[in-house]
Amino acid sequence: MRSIRTFLLLTLLATITAVTFLSLLLGYRSSLAKTDALFDERLKNLASIIVHANHDLTPRVEKTLDLKPSVFFQIWSHDGVLIARSGNAPEQQMFNRQLSEGFHDANYADFRWRTYVLQDMLFKRWVVTGERIDLRYEIADKIVLSAIKPTVMAIPLAAFIIWLTVGFGLKPLRELTTQLANKKADDLSAILIKQQPKELEPLRITTNDLLQRLNDAFVREQQFSADAAHELRTPISALKVQLHNLMSTKDIADGDLEPLREGVERMGHVIEQILSLYQHSPDQAAQQMERLNLTGIAKMVIANEYMRFESKQQRISLNAEPVCLIKGNEFALESLLQNLVLNANKYTPAKGVISVNIKSKENTVMLCVEDSGPGIAEEDRARVFERFYRVGGDRHASGILGCGLGLAIVKHISTFHGAKVGLAVSAELGGLKVTVEFPAI
Amino acid sequence: MNILLVEDDVALANALVKTLTHEGFVVNHLKHGQQAINVVKTEPTDIVILDLGLPDMDGLDVLKAIRGHTAELPVLILTARSSVNDKVSGLDLGADDYLAKPFEVDELLARLRVFERRSSSSKHAGLHIGEVVLDTACYSLTVANEAVDISRREFTLLKALMENAGRVLTRESLESKLYSWGDEVASNTIEVHIHHLRKKLPKGFIKTLRGVGYIVKPV
Repeated sequence: MRSIRTFLLLTLLATITAVTFLSLLLGYRSSLAKTDALFDERLKNLASIIVHANHDLTPRVEKTLDLKPSVFFQIWSHDGVLIARSGNAPEQQMFNRQLSEGFHDANYADFRWRTYVLQDMLFKRWVVTGERIDLRYEIADKIVLSAIKPTVMAIPLAAFIIWLTVGFGLKPLRELTTQLANKKADDLSAILIKQQPKELEPLRITTNDLLQRLNDAFVREQQFSADAAHELRTPISALKVQLHNLMSTKDIADGDLEPLREGVERMGHVIEQILSLYQHSPDQAAQQMERLNLTGIAKMVIANEYMRFESKQQRISLNAEPVCLIKGNEFALESLLQNLVLNANKYTPAKGVISVNIKSKENTVMLCVEDSGPGIAEEDRARVFERFYRVGGDRHASGILGCGLGLAIVKHISTFHGAKVGLAVSAELGGLKVTVEFPAI
Repeated sequence: MNILLVEDDVALANALVKTLTHEGFVVNHLKHGQQAINVVKTEPTDIVILDLGLPDMDGLDVLKAIRGHTAELPVLILTARSSVNDKVSGLDLGADDYLAKPFEVDELLARLRVFERRSSSSKHAGLHIGEVVLDTACYSLTVANEAVDISRREFTLLKALMENAGRVLTRESLESKLYSWGDEVASNTIEVHIHHLRKKLPKGFIKTLRGVGYIVKPV
């Protein structure tokens, strides 16, 4: 995957480099033309200075001491005698033809030369000035190079600054990605970006809009489930009563009605479970959080469900300190305890033992429900919290009525109470041990 | 026992009328709240079973009206609403019990029996469970036709347990029946009274639910 930062850095650097070199190339060429003109001007000036300053017609060589000037001069008489020359000038004519005024390029002694010829009509002589073209270019190169150097050296600095500013400019984008990445699966709250740039605003708005619509859809789905389940409560009650009436009539054998009873029972159970899963929305529950005595709720739930344990001849006991305070929603906690206790009731065989323990620790209140049932195999423990998951699928080995929502409800309610749920093997009773660790207040 | 059933769902109401009649109650069924308020004032009624979602008015308003007329008449709320708030406001307004739909028929009958027993004990008819007879008029206990001495507090405890036969009473609710607010209660008082009571009653008459409370089972 391509990184915007690297992409921007590379393209910007490439552009800067290309533009710099193009302008350097153009600059180089125009500097060359300029220096050429300048050097030509120098040759011309030198020739005219010699014409005006030198009137001596005796042949000689001008020593140029230790200096190594890049220019030379020759003075020729009209009849072709070399009157004077500088130490660095050739002794022969550089041209094969008759001298004529103006600039001429010539090849001589393995070098290319630039010369200027001026005719002195007064003394009937030619003055030739010249220099080696390669030396000329060397100087021009030096001038241009010294101009290029700072520009080239600035490119890494530019790269560094681009890297930093692009990174800085992309910060809101990074913030957005981090926020999206850190979102929990069920968190559909809006995204907020500090120092919101204009370009990200539409993205943020669309994302938040999407999240909002998703959230609305979830809420609608939950509300629908809750409403549907709620509407079914009265007809289910009617079914139950009618069934009860049927069972009390003498002319139908109870065995014939048993499957019907089971069906109604199961339907009622699923409806109640769906209701308790969806009617405790975390937002709603958060508004109804109060200080509660978990022991009191446990007592009430066990007392209310006592007949179920009685009918299976199970022994249930509560071992709790009289007061264990937590912050919670009473209705939701009732539902949580009811699910744990009834799960134990269902999956523990007749004459089994169930024990509910509540203990206050330093920062937590620990609720623990243990039974002498078959427990849950380690590999199934993570999945039993999923909605509608039952160990062994629909053909649940126990053949016990259930819909696979109990532990999902326990988990859901625990989560918005900030409690941790754990499953283990009960050391004391040998069956399942469910622990729910609430933060204390 | 005359029961006034206020329920707008015809299927449920018809089935309930049949069940309750079969159980020996006399049932008067109404669909509207206003009718119910009028009937309570004119007809002899022992128990009201009240649905909260009625077509003409809220069940809780019906309850208010009934309580305005009489404080004695037991009212059992039967409703599809099951939030704590509904329950609390129902009980605050003077409902005697609250049962959420879908309910078990046996549970409903058990609660009606509690009303029945309460009403018979207040009419000095006494409470009978098996061979245990608690005479609420002269505060005496008879077990298998033999009179047994019983203290005032033991009597109160046993009366509560027998009236609520089939339901677990937590220690807190028993304490609240024995002592008024602000009374100092020793932590094991209830245990001590229950211990004494057990010696006077048939074996297993009062069952302990460890950590939770006590229960007397109806025969």
